[in-house]
Amino acid sequence: MTGQTRPRRGATYELQRGYRLMIVPALLAVGIFAIVPLAGMFGLAFSDYHLIRGTNWDFGFQNFAKMLSDKRLMNSIYVMAALSFFGVALQVIIGSAVAVGLQKITGRWRVGRILFLLPYAVPHVAVALIWLSLFTPTLSPINAFFDLFGLTVPAFLTSQWGAIFAIVMADTWTNFPFAMLIIMAALQGISPDLEEAAAIDGATRIRTFIYITLPLLAPALLMVTLFRFIDSLKHFPMIFVMTKGGPGRSTQATNFYAYVQTFQNSNVAYGAAIALMLFLMAALISYYVAKLNQRVTS
Amino acid sequence: MKHLLSKALVTSFALAAPFAPTVAQAQEVNVLMFGMPFTNGLLELTDEFEAETGITVNMDVVGQDVFESRITLSFTGGTGDIDVVHTPVIQVQKWIQAGWLQPMTDLVSEETTSDILAGPLGAYNVNGDQWALPFFAGVGLMSYRKDVLEEAGLAVPETWAELLEIAPQVQNDERAAIALRAVPGQGFNMFIFPMVMRAYGGTFFADYENGDLTPAINSPENLEALKIYVELINEYGPPGAGNFNFAEVNAAGQNGQIVFAVEGTGIISQLVDPDKSRFADVTGIALPPGGPNGRSPAIGVHGMGIPADATNVDAATQFIEWAVSAETVAKIAMAQSFPDFTTASVADNPEVIAKYAAIHPDFLATRVEALDLAIGHYRPLVPEWPTLGQAIGEAVNAAINGLMTPEEALEQAEADMRDIMGQ
Repeated sequence: MTGQTRPRRGATYELQRGYRLMIVPALLAVGIFAIVPLAGMFGLAFSDYHLIRGTNWDFGFQNFAKMLSDKRLMNSIYVMAALSFFGVALQVIIGSAVAVGLQKITGRWRVGRILFLLPYAVPHVAVALIWLSLFTPTLSPINAFFDLFGLTVPAFLTSQWGAIFAIVMADTWTNFPFAMLIIMAALQGISPDLEEAAAIDGATRIRTFIYITLPLLAPALLMVTLFRFIDSLKHFPMIFVMTKGGPGRSTQATNFYAYVQTFQNSNVAYGAAIALMLFLMAALISYYVAKLNQRVTS
Repeated sequence: MKHLLSKALVTSFALAAPFAPTVAQAQEVNVLMFGMPFTNGLLELTDEFEAETGITVNMDVVGQDVFESRITLSFTGGTGDIDVVHTPVIQVQKWIQAGWLQPMTDLVSEETTSDILAGPLGAYNVNGDQWALPFFAGVGLMSYRKDVLEEAGLAVPETWAELLEIAPQVQNDERAAIALRAVPGQGFNMFIFPMVMRAYGGTFFADYENGDLTPAINSPENLEALKIYVELINEYGPPGAGNFNFAEVNAAGQNGQIVFAVEGTGIISQLVDPDKSRFADVTGIALPPGGPNGRSPAIGVHGMGIPADATNVDAATQFIEWAVSAETVAKIAMAQSFPDFTTASVADNPEVIAKYAAIHPDFLATRVEALDLAIGHYRPLVPEWPTLGQAIGEAVNAAINGLMTPEEALEQAEADMRDIMGQ
C-alpha cells in the first residue's frame, strides 16, 4: 500500500491521450505528402534511374559528382542567385513600404487595402502570361503608349539582364502582398505608446522608424525574407512561360534546369539530385536564419 | 465487427474484379488520348464503333499534362490499363527504346496502310517496324500578305535567299517583314529552324539514314542557314522577335504587324481564318521557302499506338484501323476544325474540299503538297531527340539574341550533341 505511488490516471491523463490522438491525422498527412515523397527523392538522387533506360541498381554519389562538373548547373545557380536576391529584396522592401504606408490610413479607406492583396491571388501562370504580354513589344500597351510620343521601349526579354529584370518584376508584383501582410501584422503588434514616447523625447519620424520600429520588426522581416527566399528557389512558371529559360540559358534557374533534366532528358535520378541539393540549401539557410532570429529576439 | 468483416470481404471482391480474366464475349478497348480536334471528334463517334463491332470503348481524352503523368504511371508500373495510346512522334522513339510499345507491323492490314500519306507513315517506321498509325500531320507552310506583295510588285519568294532580298522592300515602320519562332526548345525554334537548315543541305548527323549518328551540326551549310535565320529575325522581324514563340507569331500575323510567317498549319490556318484574323482575306498560303538543297517542310505527327502491356490487342488494332479509315476521318474533318488528316483519300472527298476551300482555297492542296515533300525524320527520330533539340535550340536562341556568334553557337551545339550521344 505505502511506498511507490503509481501515476494517477485522472482526467488530465485522458485529455493528454486525446490530444496525442488528435495529432495523428496531421502526422499522417505530413507523412504521406511530405516525408514519403522526400524519402523517394532521396532514394532517386542516389540511384541511376533513367525513365527510358531504366536502372542498373547502381546506387552511389555519381549524380553529385556529375553536378560538380556540370557547367549548366553552375550557370543555373548563378541565375537563381540573381533572381532570388533581387526578387526577395524588392518584395520585402516594397511589401514593407506599402505596409507602413497603409498603416497610416484610417477610417473608411481601410477597406481599400484589399486592393493591394489582389496580385497575390492571381495564379502564377496567369501572372506570367500577363507580364509576357506586357514585355512583348508587339503586344504591350506600354509600348503602344510610348510609341505615341515617338519613344521606343526596349525589348527586355531578348537580353540577358533584361529577361532577369522582367521575371523579377513579374515575381515581385505577385508576391509583395505576402510581405506586406506579414509586416502589417507585425506593425500592429508594436504599441503606439512607444512611438509617442519617442516623439515626446524629441525623436524625428525617421529616427523613430530606424531605432524603434525597425528593430521590433526585425523578426518579422527575417521570417518574410526566409519564406520568400525558399519560395524563390522553386521558380518555375514565370521562367517557363516568359522565356523558356532563354535568351540562350540566361534565365535557366536551377529548378527549371532540374525540370529540363527530368522531363526532357528523362534523367530522373539527376533531376532528383538537383532537387535534393536545393532542399538541403533551403534547410541549411532556414537553420541559420532561425538561429539569427533567436539572437535578434533575445 | 461481423458487419465490418463482411464489408471488407465484399470490397476485396470488388477490387479484385479488374484482375479477373475477361470474358471472351465482353470485349472492350481502353483508349487514352489528349485533347485535339481529331481526338475530340473521335470521342463523339465511339458509339458507331461499338455498334459496328460490339466492342465497348472506354475512351479518355485528357489535357496533355494529365496525359503525360498517366502514361508514365501506366508504362513504368506495367499496369496494362491502356490498349490504344496517343503517340506523338517526338515521344515514340523514347517509348520504343524503353520497350513501352509493341510493333504493329503484323497487326495492321495493307489496305489501311496504303491509304496513309507516306511522310507521316514513315515517321513511325523505326528499325523496319511500324510502331503506330498517324492521324494528324502538321506541316510547315508560309503565309504572306497578298496586298503588300501586289503593292510592291513582288512575286511570292520561293527560297530563303529571295525572301531575304525582298524583306527590306516590304518592311516599313508599321510592319516587319517576317516573324519566326526564336524561343529555345525542340518543339519551339527547333520546329522551324531545320527548314532553313535542310534547305541549305545541313543535317544533324553525318549520315542518319545509314545509321551514322556522328554529330554534324557544325557544318558550313548549317552556319549559312543559322546566319540567315539570325538576320531574318533581327533585321526583318518585329521588335522583341528574339523571344517569339508560335503565340507571338500568330498575334503578329493577326494584327497585321508582319508580311510573312513561316509556321505550322495550326497557326497558318488561324491566320487565314476570317473569324480569327482581321487580315485573313488578304493572306495567301504557299510552300515554305527552299534553298540549294530543295524544300523540307516541317512536320509534326500524331498517331495511335499499342502499349507493350496492352490487354486487348485485337480490339485495339480494330479500333485504330477504324479510327484512321477514310469514313471516320472524313466525318471528323467535317465536324471539327481538322484539315490535318493523314488519310490520303480524304483529300479527294468533295465535301471536305468544299468545307476547307471556304476557309481558304489553297489550304488543303498546299498542305498535301508540303506533306509529300516532307521527310519523316525532319527532326531525327532518335530517343535522344528531346535532349538534343533543347540543347541545339538554346544555342540557336543564343545566336539570335547576340549572346554568341553563329559560329560559337554551332560549336557549342556540336559539343552538347557529343555529350548527349555519349561520344
